[in-house]
Amino acid sequence: MRGNRTKMSCALALVLTLGGTLTGCGGDGGGGSGGKVTLRFTWWGNPDRAARTEQAIKVFEKRHPDIDITTSFAGFDTYKAKLATQAAGGDAPDVMQLDYRQINQYATSGILLDLGKYPELRTSQIDKGLLDTGVVDGKRYALPVARGTETMAYDATLWRKAGVPEPTADWTWDDWADAMRQLSKSEATGGRVGGTDPGQSEDVFEIWLRGQGKSLYTEDGGLGFTADDLTRYWEWCTGLRKEGAVSRAEQTTQMDGTVENTPLGRLTAVSDFNWDAPVSGYSAIVGEGLKMAPLPVGDDGTPGQYFKPSMFFGASAKTAHPKQAAQFIDFLLNDQEAGTILGATRGIPANDTLREKVLPKLEGFDQVISAYQKQFEGKFEDPPAAPPKGDASLQGTFARDYDQVSYERMSPREAAEDYITEAKAELRQ
Amino acid sequence: MTATATRPQSAAPSATGGKRAPKRERQGAAWVFLSPWVLGATVLTLLPMAVSLYLSFTDYDMFDAPSWVGFRNYTQMFTEDPRYWRSVGTTLTYVVIAVPLQLVLALAVAIALKSVKRGKGFYRSAFYAPSLLGASMSIALVWRAIFNDGGTVDNLLSDVGLDIGGWINKPGWAILSVALLTIWQFGAPMVIFLAGLQQIPAELYEAAAVDGASWWRQFRSITIPMLSPVLFFNLVLQMIQAFQVFTPAFAVSGGKGGPADSTLVYTLYLYDRGFTASHMGYASAMAWVLLLAIGVVTAVLFRTSRAWVFYANDTHEGGR
Repeated sequence: MRGNRTKMSCALALVLTLGGTLTGCGGDGGGGSGGKVTLRFTWWGNPDRAARTEQAIKVFEKRHPDIDITTSFAGFDTYKAKLATQAAGGDAPDVMQLDYRQINQYATSGILLDLGKYPELRTSQIDKGLLDTGVVDGKRYALPVARGTETMAYDATLWRKAGVPEPTADWTWDDWADAMRQLSKSEATGGRVGGTDPGQSEDVFEIWLRGQGKSLYTEDGGLGFTADDLTRYWEWCTGLRKEGAVSRAEQTTQMDGTVENTPLGRLTAVSDFNWDAPVSGYSAIVGEGLKMAPLPVGDDGTPGQYFKPSMFFGASAKTAHPKQAAQFIDFLLNDQEAGTILGATRGIPANDTLREKVLPKLEGFDQVISAYQKQFEGKFEDPPAAPPKGDASLQGTFARDYDQVSYERMSPREAAEDYITEAKAELRQ
Repeated sequence: MTATATRPQSAAPSATGGKRAPKRERQGAAWVFLSPWVLGATVLTLLPMAVSLYLSFTDYDMFDAPSWVGFRNYTQMFTEDPRYWRSVGTTLTYVVIAVPLQLVLALAVAIALKSVKRGKGFYRSAFYAPSLLGASMSIALVWRAIFNDGGTVDNLLSDVGLDIGGWINKPGWAILSVALLTIWQFGAPMVIFLAGLQQIPAELYEAAAVDGASWWRQFRSITIPMLSPVLFFNLVLQMIQAFQVFTPAFAVSGGKGGPADSTLVYTLYLYDRGFTASHMGYASAMAWVLLLAIGVVTAVLFRTSRAWVFYANDTHEGGR
């Protein structure tokens, strides 16, 4: 009888709100059955990550019969918009995967739980510099899951054929630009350009900036550079583009976040700057010759590169079961069995012991990535603090403003000033 | 009329227990039957609209409580935001290209189909199919693929010597590929045109033929005037839709409105402000301006329609 009524009201809710309250019904049903605790866990990713995550969750549920985990996942952009909407409606999932750029906003808006209060969640195995990227106003709102760093992926076979000296650990941006010019001119590359125009990438700009001792943001969340810095960077990129050393606007604009649509992935360039995790995607296209090199350093040898937390786990401040949420995050981050199952599906694990355990078992390109990361251990400076609130759309603004430059609708100076104006408005300075 | 007439009657029997159900009770039944619609309209349409109107006067980032800013979103839109005007320009370009071409194509195919004797059903379905499929994301993605650098269209054009190098990465061409996707979905107006064409009395054409009028003359003096109400209906409907174009521009540009903002149509910019930049207040203000703009354009169309739309009664009475 009662069941019938629940069904009825669920059906009615479905009719009236076309699904809006339906999730509410589902949640109540799960929570009410026999004192079992239900945690909602959401994340972004692909089917491979989904399969491994589900497998790890089964282990957790077996060990904690009183906890039920329900999951949902989506692509990054969809996930971001959905999570923001859920958070705005006061319905953030109990446990959620977060991006570096979401931490500050979510923490200061009271959406995230202070995980520092829960001893169930161990943090001793994670590098302190990396760990602190999840701290806002002295509270531990999120924990880094894995670390990533940028790289220049390149076709070493063509590079060698063109007779261009291969990148070294201490090459400068001038060395890089020379290599781009030589590669583009060489007959061995068959009309391919040296690399992707780095003007559209805020990530590369940040490394370039850090090589000069500056940063994207200051400690107090202001802009760490001026319109002059950005103008200089974009003028330099524009020069290289006009010389034909890097990709044309029509090629650069086709980039959509997948490796297949980068100039290197489309086989119209010999190299590309990217994060290390997606590089395995190139190996299927470029083949055996694919290698990874560190990004160039500043003129005086200052490295701009750093280990960045690739993603975080956080819990909702409104969760009814904070203790269980902490237990679950602890399991995902620190448990050996979970580590073995998850492997490098969210990046090379941030947990030191787990990393040592997982590394030898990694297969294929994950192995190359982990070796690439290992050479930098102890050499990088600490990562910058999480980007300030309001920065969420600036990465897009950066690429868009440079689009106006590469299609010659704005000068580097005009575009740089446009960016600074918009950035200041977003950061409410 | 009936309401005023029945009132005194229905009030009296209800007190004395007459056979007819009291008015209030009959109203009650009506409300019961109406309630799903009323609830739906209130919860899904009116309430969100009221909230959106309120938000348009606030600064709201979806995280902190909205803060009242008066007309600032509106003034910022009109005076400080060059991207806003770029999106308005792009949308107008799109409407001006897509709507007339789509209607011309729909009318042409409808006229051709009218005289088809065999396989009528097949041809109608074939031409109507894109309207059913076209609104989906998957077709928009296919569109992106065939107009991309090295895609089918690009290769075909290169073969005949037109080397464009992909439409979707050329600022001037990208919006054309979006417009073509809309034009291709001419099935819905076509079906309406077909219905309209079949309403035109055959004796008009017979009389014209007897008088020796050419095909073109018949088309101009019979088909167009007789069809003008249908033409008007299609024009208004397609234009309202065109102003709100979103999916094709979103898919062709990967959600960014590029290259160089050339496919940044109004609703795409609205989406960008609301969901990417988290400026819900600003996005709401944009939505209200769009609503008003569509209202104004529709009103203007209705005003001009008096000059060129003829209804059957007019013609039978010998025109104006």
